[in-house]
Amino acid sequence: MNNRAKIDCVNHESRTNETAPSVAVESVSVEKRQGLLKSDLFRELRSLPGPALSNPARLSVVWGWCYGGAGRRWISPATGYAPSHGCASNCELSAKEWFLNRALRIDDDVAEALYSGNRRVPTYTKSQITPLKNNYNGATPDSAYISGWNLTLDGLASGLSIPLDLRILNTRFSIHEQITRLVCVEGWSAIAWWAGLRFDDLLRAYPPMSQAKWARVESSVNLDDSGNPDPYFVSIDLATARHPQTLLATHFNGQPLLWIMEHHSVCWFP
Amino acid sequence: MSDSTLPASEPNSTSTLLEEPGVLVAKKHHLLVRWSHWLNLPILLGLIASGISIYWASPVYQHKPDPNTGNVDVAADIGIWMCSHAPGLHHYSSPPDWVYNHMSLGPGMLALALRLHWLCAYLFMLNGMVYLAGLFMGGGWRSLLPRRTDLFDAFMMFRYYLGVPFAKLIRRKWLHPRLNTKYNALQRAAYFSIPVAGFLSVTTGWAIHKPMQLHWLAALFGGYNAARVWHFWIMWLYILFVVPHVILVFADGWDTLRSMIVGCLNKSEAVGVHSE
Repeated sequence: MNNRAKIDCVNHESRTNETAPSVAVESVSVEKRQGLLKSDLFRELRSLPGPALSNPARLSVVWGWCYGGAGRRWISPATGYAPSHGCASNCELSAKEWFLNRALRIDDDVAEALYSGNRRVPTYTKSQITPLKNNYNGATPDSAYISGWNLTLDGLASGLSIPLDLRILNTRFSIHEQITRLVCVEGWSAIAWWAGLRFDDLLRAYPPMSQAKWARVESSVNLDDSGNPDPYFVSIDLATARHPQTLLATHFNGQPLLWIMEHHSVCWFP
Repeated sequence: MSDSTLPASEPNSTSTLLEEPGVLVAKKHHLLVRWSHWLNLPILLGLIASGISIYWASPVYQHKPDPNTGNVDVAADIGIWMCSHAPGLHHYSSPPDWVYNHMSLGPGMLALALRLHWLCAYLFMLNGMVYLAGLFMGGGWRSLLPRRTDLFDAFMMFRYYLGVPFAKLIRRKWLHPRLNTKYNALQRAAYFSIPVAGFLSVTTGWAIHKPMQLHWLAALFGGYNAARVWHFWIMWLYILFVVPHVILVFADGWDTLRSMIVGCLNKSEAVGVHSE
């Protein structure tokens, strides 16, 4: 399988350009209806022309689906059924979608206003560590794949696409440790002992393009129920990515992570 | 709205008499209070429905898996029980199905539920500000403040409510406690605690929405996990409030319900008992 995790720096500049390219949104919907893979979805989104990529409405949709993917994979209802994410028949950017995305963007602005890079997240002692929930139910590949794992950086100022393997990440950057609380979007939380490089150091070493406002982090390992790649992905704004407590974790509980760039290493950020 | 002819310290200042030919009315609720009151209905419904959908992503109250369904969620148990006992639910074996079919929301829909929850949460906060503005502009806040005699008065009202059905059954007179205030003590306690609950919902909501940047807020409620539990139980306060609230307003009659729409009470029916 394709064991490449990705970080894309994407740009968020044209906030007024809301209605222009509905192509992207429709492609999301079509993907959803046919139940195709999200990795394909991204290939499709990234092949769109520039203005489409900078459309914030679509970015919000990406955000939304990010959670949706998480939910669909990990929440097992009492007796299973698969609702189509409230988008059963009409998948255009309806008034409802517009409204929900609008609220999401207001919430984004509020989060930005609230954010302070100087505020530190509480840290804990080793005796306070709590068990971490495994959201994968075994649907992760054998850890042997790690030797071929690499992290691809895209959207850089240099215009290059940079593959980094674990050895580079662990030797070229200083490794920081912290015991912090992981809060998952699903609502559960756990205190865990992380170690890894600062995301900020990565951004300094490989500066993103100047218009970039977001980093999209895409996992390499999630599999769907039929064993096909179904990568988890999440977007963080660059201010958050540059917070000193935002790590790109390579170690967990003092041991190298078995699944790099997975949910655990990227879900939490101050 | 503020053409009060009574001194501001008078508890009845929101029930100013207006003389018009033919009908006597008493002003009761400020326009903004009325608007925010009714807007709360869809907003709270949206918040509760999407909140349950979010809760299902990681239920707090769990038990060992049920041997038949594999269900571990206590909230789902309640739903299953309701679906198997309430008439007209067409025997849904799974409450998530019922909720999904009626609300277009359910488990496995965290993305939609979160966006809906945030939309409704911002509307709820805005609506809360509209309510507070109306409360202060119309002077209604004075009627909500707790009083020294409230404990005794609340007991008397409680005794009255308990006795009313029996008195009706045996056709005996059962006198309503005399009131010279807009609300009785039980109403006052209820109407005072709902804005407080709203404030707590909003603060616990922020604590769990931004647990990293606002970790001090989560710490006020005993940490992130505890803040989540607070947020969950405060939701039940609204439900606990709404059930008797709706029953009593219908029991009380059309005039009371209408006063929340038009803002006035018909004075000829409400002589002596402003809250009734």
